[in-house]
Order: sequence, then structure tokens, then C-alpha cells
Amino acid sequence: MDLINNLMLGFTVALSPFNMLMCLVGVFLGTLIGVLPGVGPVATIAMLLPVTFNLSPIAALIMLAGIYYGAQYGGSTTAILVNIPGESSSVVTCLDGYQMARQGRAGPALAVAALASFFAGCVSTLIVAAFAPPLAEVALKFGPSEYFSLMVLGLVSAVVLAHGSILKAIAMVILGLLLGLVGTDVNSGVLRYAFGISELSDGIGFVTVAMGMFGLAEIVMNLEHTGEVREVFTDKKLHLWPSKEDFRRSIAPTLRGTFLGSALGILPGGGALLASFGAYTLEKKVSKYKHEFGKGAVEGVAAPESANNAGAQTSFIPLLTLGIPSNAVMALMIGAMMIQGIAPGPQVMTEKPQLFWGMIASMWVGNLMLIILNLPLIGMWVKLLTVPYRVLYPSILVFMVIGVYSLSNNPFDCFLMALFGVFGYICVKLECEPAPLILGFILGPLMEENLRRAMLLSRGDPLVFFQKPISAGFLIAAMILLVIIALPAIRKKREEAFVEA
Amino acid sequence: MRIKSPRDFWAGLMFIGFGLGFLFIAVGPPAFLVELAKQFDYKFEYGYQMGTAVRMGPAYFPTVLGGMLAALGLFVLIESLAIEGEKVARFYFRPLLFIVAANLAFAYLLKPLGVMLSIAVLVFISAYGGHEFKWKEVALLAIAMMIMSVLVFVKGLTLPFPIWPAFME
Amino acid sequence: MRRLLAAAALLAAAQAPFAQTWPSKPVKLVAPYAAGGPVDVSARILAARLQESLGQPVVVENKPGAGGNLGAYFVAKSAPDGYTLVMGAIATHAINPSLMANVPYDPIKDFRHVALVVQVPNVLVINADVPARTVKELIAYARERPGRLDFASGSTGSTGHLAGELFKTMTGTYMVHIPYKGSAPAVTDLLAGRVHLMFDNLASALPNIKAAKLRALAVTTTLRSSFLPDLPTLDESGLKGFDMTTWWGVMAPGKTPQAVVERLNAEIFRAIEAPEVKERLRAMGSEPGAVRTPEQFTAFVGAERALYARLVRQSGAKPD
Repeated sequence: MDLINNLMLGFTVALSPFNMLMCLVGVFLGTLIGVLPGVGPVATIAMLLPVTFNLSPIAALIMLAGIYYGAQYGGSTTAILVNIPGESSSVVTCLDGYQMARQGRAGPALAVAALASFFAGCVSTLIVAAFAPPLAEVALKFGPSEYFSLMVLGLVSAVVLAHGSILKAIAMVILGLLLGLVGTDVNSGVLRYAFGISELSDGIGFVTVAMGMFGLAEIVMNLEHTGEVREVFTDKKLHLWPSKEDFRRSIAPTLRGTFLGSALGILPGGGALLASFGAYTLEKKVSKYKHEFGKGAVEGVAAPESANNAGAQTSFIPLLTLGIPSNAVMALMIGAMMIQGIAPGPQVMTEKPQLFWGMIASMWVGNLMLIILNLPLIGMWVKLLTVPYRVLYPSILVFMVIGVYSLSNNPFDCFLMALFGVFGYICVKLECEPAPLILGFILGPLMEENLRRAMLLSRGDPLVFFQKPISAGFLIAAMILLVIIALPAIRKKREEAFVEA
Repeated sequence: MRIKSPRDFWAGLMFIGFGLGFLFIAVGPPAFLVELAKQFDYKFEYGYQMGTAVRMGPAYFPTVLGGMLAALGLFVLIESLAIEGEKVARFYFRPLLFIVAANLAFAYLLKPLGVMLSIAVLVFISAYGGHEFKWKEVALLAIAMMIMSVLVFVKGLTLPFPIWPAFME
Repeated sequence: MRRLLAAAALLAAAQAPFAQTWPSKPVKLVAPYAAGGPVDVSARILAARLQESLGQPVVVENKPGAGGNLGAYFVAKSAPDGYTLVMGAIATHAINPSLMANVPYDPIKDFRHVALVVQVPNVLVINADVPARTVKELIAYARERPGRLDFASGSTGSTGHLAGELFKTMTGTYMVHIPYKGSAPAVTDLLAGRVHLMFDNLASALPNIKAAKLRALAVTTTLRSSFLPDLPTLDESGLKGFDMTTWWGVMAPGKTPQAVVERLNAEIFRAIEAPEVKERLRAMGSEPGAVRTPEQFTAFVGAERALYARLVRQSGAKPD
């Protein structure tokens, strides 16, 4: 068996003491920066690049990869504890994870997130090992029209993220799409909606919007009740470990999330972005506990967490087999490989099997380390929530502001975060939910770019979206989903209207 | 005409406002706005190119979306007149103001004053926006945050922040 | 006039000891792009080495925005004391001033051009299914199919785009430009055959050329590349005078003292000629050129500025 031989080779590399140490350093650092809102893996890896000069290529890559998936673990911690998504993948973890925390179930939420991630990490590592080359071909099958249709499907599913009015959720998605267009237009180079502010020419950063609308607005909401001393997190008995019931309910969502995430992670053009959103939507539609979503459903943590970790692993497939980075972190990995004199691309697997398989094996090792590292930490995190809120929120604010400031070393980003904080607060008051807006914001630029590129390539024929089978499939799925979402709502509205009349 | 659901009414207005705003910036403002602006000696910057279906211009996508948003806003608005709904929950301006002020103070003081002082300012302003303000506790918290930030961000993650005010370096 | 001279003398006198004590505090090297891009990576490689020889920390600070203009402008208006430097690039100092409206600095007058650090050629690559083995065959193939071939680029106004436009005018062919957000997604579509050709950065195209997934037809410089010595240049292939290179280097604010500029120039060259740094820059596709002194670098930037002013005008890439 080739696969077994290859994996054996990989593990002999990954389990060498020094590489294990580097892996540990990587996942530890990753967890740390994941927990710190705003400070992301991209900045950290960039700053660490000079340190990697003196390491062997494999040790350097093992460490950097560790930072990447370590940050995914850490990011969900902040999302669950204080409702701040530091990464686009942890936005949906906020929805139910934070609610669980407010009910005194931060421990189970963190544990389920860690275990689901671990499971997903193991499975997707195997997928990478077994199917990397054929799956790389799948990545190439996705052109502009396929991506556009995938984005449409993603946006329709964004509506499911909301638990209130569907009309307002759709409006928020579109507002998000529009906000995502701020900055330099990719196709023409024209500046749009920048109002002469040069800091806006590269668009508004995701972290700025997410931290403003989730983090800042949440702090203000919690401070509303002046006078009475009210603790944000219940003083009911704090649970540390998930109950049997939690485990039972998490199994199927974790499995579904893992496979959806693995599949989407392969697509370099923004597929992994959709992984956690997609998994959440899927669960909300198939779950027996639909009514609990948004109010602390454990499925709403297990599914997106497993999906995002699976996607993080499989997004190495286009990098390792085609030399195509699927996100900024992967682009940095390419930089790191080139500094080491390795040109990433199809020949890495054959010319440097030790590197290729060593890295894959190290992902498994790293995931194991992460779970060993993170499970004992849960106790500490939960303790943190017993700190009085009046002490907690200025500290949260310190981390947020430093993180946002460090994005481009410019106070303007903090100004924007404040602006989105105020806007987020208004939205809460008007019952317009931020999650659909955030997803629209992330996907907006990608959607426009791919639409225009597809039209350029087809010389203006809109039928191209239906002629390509993959693209047509997504569009049909989007339409079916839209009907499924809209029907009950319309029926309800009509009943209400008739009752009124 | 009675507004049955004030919350949706305002949400609808907000969406219409954003939708039309994005739309007008993309295609250029309508004539009456141009006339109105002239009264105030204000000149609009005109919109972006619409392009064709093959080579879509920068105005294409935002025009379509802006129009859709305004239309959805209108739906929400009409619905708020027809279906009974909730009032807009009360706004609390004190925490909002202090949290925003703390955030901005830090951002704009960081370069001139350094991490240490600007964190102290941030902690004090934000703590003042809460319900309870205990001098001693806040001072301790500020000191703890100062030490932690320098260790983690400046020393550990080597972010290029000055630690002390510019004149002291 | 006398007073001016006296002031100048005073200034020079004040500067002389300054140059001897420089650097007495950490030096900031601004990378005007996001962390992790090639400009940032090379800045960090250089900084790690420079701080050993200067005896002071060299801190890389990312100031992305406005195609690099934000970071460049930040340095242009910083104190000219040698403590704030920028990795100025072909975009910030040659292309953007022609491409964009309201670039708030003069790329020549507001800077001292200290040392050219990296020069990377572009390479004309085609999808392996396009039946052309040479540039001549490609031109013939494109002429038979006017408006049906697509060429990809990393962004509107990038060297890849402008090289394509120059290629079109020089050969009298008509191809459609498909802009992408960065080179990676463009390469993906090139590999999949959705676009036909691309003028890509040599370093990013090299692995796929070696794996025969893409076919390289020529390099865009007048000198052949040492990475692909058998590959002809476009100049050799009939497009006389075709010469484009992507480059970036260290620059300082306009009034930085000559002594500091010279010291920096010497230290930077010592750094980039050190074997381990040289090897790393080479891995990024960089080939050392003839530009060495600050004066040569200034002349080089001036020539590039003029070249791209012409190319941007011809290509119609400038948004209105």
C-alpha cells in the first residue's frame, strides 16, 4: 500500500523530536494569537518568517502550519467566551457558542468545539493523504461561473443564519454585499465609495466590521442596565464538561460538518470561507432541534467548528499539489517555501516526498497536541467568566483595539470599528441581525469579481451559468433552498395579516 | 396611517436610505438632488461607469444591489404599516459614548503617548462608562493591562508600538 | 544668497557628526503592502541581516493601502533622519503616479533612492493546450483569432497587464484582458485553460513551467534569465526593445543626508550579497542587476517612471 508507506514516511519525519517541538511551538502560538482578537495568523506568520530561516524547510513549514490551524482552535475560544469573531470562520460559532456561554455552558461549548475540530482534523488529514492529487483536479474545475453560483448558494444560505424576519435578513445580506464593494474595483481600478479617504482604497477589513458589530455592540448591550448589578454570565452552576446528551447530539453534525468542510476547503477561490456558514445552515435545516438554534444549540457549535477545521486542512491540497494558495495564510506558506528554496507546485510531492508527507503527518500530530493543550485550558477559560464584568470588558476592549490597530498600524481602522460598533448597536435595536451582513460582506467582492470575470470570458452570455453543469447545480440548489426558506415565512405572514384584518 | 411596527418601520427606512445612497453614488444623483445641492454650493461627484453586460463597469453591481436593497426596505416599511410589531428598544447613550470614546482615544493617542499611557486612558474611560466605577480597582486593572500588553504585544509579538510617549524616548 | 550658503554650511556641519552617530536608535523599514507578500518578505529578510551590521534593531512595519501609496507617502513626509525607510516598488514609484489620480508624492523628488534590492523578470506563459511553441507561433495564432484569446493578470495596471497591452500594440493582435485579484487565481484559470496566456512573475510561474503544466515562451527582460537559460527574450523573438522588470528597493525621505544614504547603500549591498540572503532573494526569482549606487537607482526610477507613463497612456488602463 502506497498510502501506508507514505504515511509511515510522513510520521517518521513528523515524530522526530525537533519537528514535534516545532509543531508544539506552532500550535501553541497559534492558539495564543487565535484567542487574541484581531491579531491573526497572517501577521504572525509574516513576523515569524525571518525566524524560520535557520530551520530546516520541513521544520519551518510544520511550525507555520501549526500556527494556522492552531489559530482556528483559538479563534473559536474568543467567539464562544466574549462574542468576538477574530476570523471569518468563527462568526457562526458566535451565534450559538456565545449563547451557551451566557447560560453557564461555556465549558461544554469549548469542549465540543475542540473535540469536533479534532475529529474533523483527523478525518480531513486522511483525506488529504489519500486523495490530494485527484482532488486537486476538482479545484481546477471551478472557474468564475462555478464560483459565482457557489456564492449565490452561500448567500441564500446566509439568510438561514438569522432567526428573525427573513425580509430583513435578506436586506442585511445585500447591505453586506454593498459594504464589501468599498475600495478599489478589481476590474477597472476605479475607487468606489471611498469618499476621498485613502485608507478605504483597499476596502474595509473583515476584522474591523466583525469586531465592531459583534464585539463592541455586545459590550454596550451588556452595559445597558445601569444601577442594578447584573452579571452577564449566569451565576448558575458552571458546567465544565459536555453532558451525554451534548455528545449524542454533536455526533451527526460533526460528521456532516467534516465532510462539507473538507469538500469546500479544496476550492481555492474562497470555498473554505463558506465551510462554517454552510455547515451551520445545513444543521439548522436538518436538525430536530431547529427551534434551539441561535439560543445555544450544541449542534450550532459542533457543525461549523468541525467544518472550518476540516476546510483549513484540505485547503492545503491546492497549495501542495498545484502551488495555488487559497487564502492569505497559504500565500505566506508559499513565501516561506520559496525562502527555503522550494518552489511549491506539482513536483513537491514527487521530488520532496519527505516534506509533503511529513507535513501531512504533522497536521495529525498537531491536532492531537491541540486537543491535549486545549481541553485542560477550558477550566481556566470558564473561570475567566466568573471575573466581574466591570473588570472583564475594559480588558476585552484593550485586546480588541490593539488587534484592530495592528491590522495596518493606523488609527483609522479603530475609527471604523467604532463606527461599525454604533451601527451594530442600532441594528440590534432594530432587530437586524449582523451575521447575514457579515457573510454578505465577505462574499460580496468575490461574487462581483467572479460574475464580471465570467461575463468577460463568455463575452457577455449570461447562459454560461446554466450551461456548465456544476454551476447550474448550485443555482438550482440555491433556488430550492430559497423556496424552502420562504414558504413557511410567507404562510406565517399571511396568517398574521389576515388575523389583523 | 398608523405605524404598527415602529422597529420594522425604522429598519425599512434605514435600508431604503442605504440602498438609495449606494445607488446614487454609483449612477450619479437624481436631478432634484443636484439642484438642491446647488443651493448649498455643493457639487456632487458623478457616478461610476455602467459598462455593458460583457465588460461590466464599476457601477453595474452596486446599482443592481442598491436598487434591490431600497426595494426590500420599502417592503419592510409597508409591512410595518400592516402588521403589528414591537417598539424600538431604548437606546442607552452613556455606555455607547464611553466605549466609542475609549476606543478612539486609544487609537489616536497611541503614536504620541505610547502603549502605556494610552492603555491607561482606554481603561479609565471605558470603565467610567459602566455602572460601577471604583478608582482603586480600575487603577489596578489599568496597570495589569499595561504590563500585559507590553509583554504580549510589544515584546512577544513585536508589534511596532512605542512604549513610552515620544518626548521621553 | 550668502545667508543661504551659511545655512547650508551650518546644516552640513550639523549633519556630519549626525551621520557618524547614525543609527543611534531603531530604524523603521516600512513595507507598503500587507504582511506576507514578496515585498514584505524580502523586507524582513533584509531587515534581519541589516540589524546585525547596523547594531540597531531594524523593524519592519506594514502600511498597506492605496496600492502601496499610503506607505510610500507616510515615509515621504517622515523626518529625513535615516530612521524611517520604505521598500519602494515599481507600483508605488513608477506605475501608480501615472495610473492613479491624486498620488500625494513625487516619486523622484520626495525620496532618496538608496538601494535597489530585488529585480524579477516576468515570463510569457501559455496554457499547455494552446498550440504555440514560440512567440512567433503565438502571434500568428492570435492574429487568426482576433478578440478570442484572453490574457490574465494579477490586477489592472500591474506589470502583467501592461506587458500584455504592450504586446498587443507591438504585435497588432487583439486579446481580451481578464484582471484577477492577485496572481494565484489567475494562474489557476490559466492551468485550467479558461484563459490562454499570462505575463506572470517568474518566481510564481517557475514550478508549473518545470512541471510542464504551463509553457513558457519568453522572458520580458532584454537579458535571459539564469533560471531558464534556454528561454529566449521577447526582444530576441522579434519584439525589439521589449523590456519589463518588476523591482523594489529601499528608499528614504527626500532630504535624508548623503552620508546616511551612502552608509545604508553600502550596508544593504553587503547584506544582499551575503550568501544566505542572496540565496533567499534568488529563490524569490530575483536577479541582481547593474543598478548599484543611489544615483544609478534614482536614474533607474526616473527611466521606469517615464516608461510606465507611456505604457499606461497607451494601454488605456487608467480609470477615469
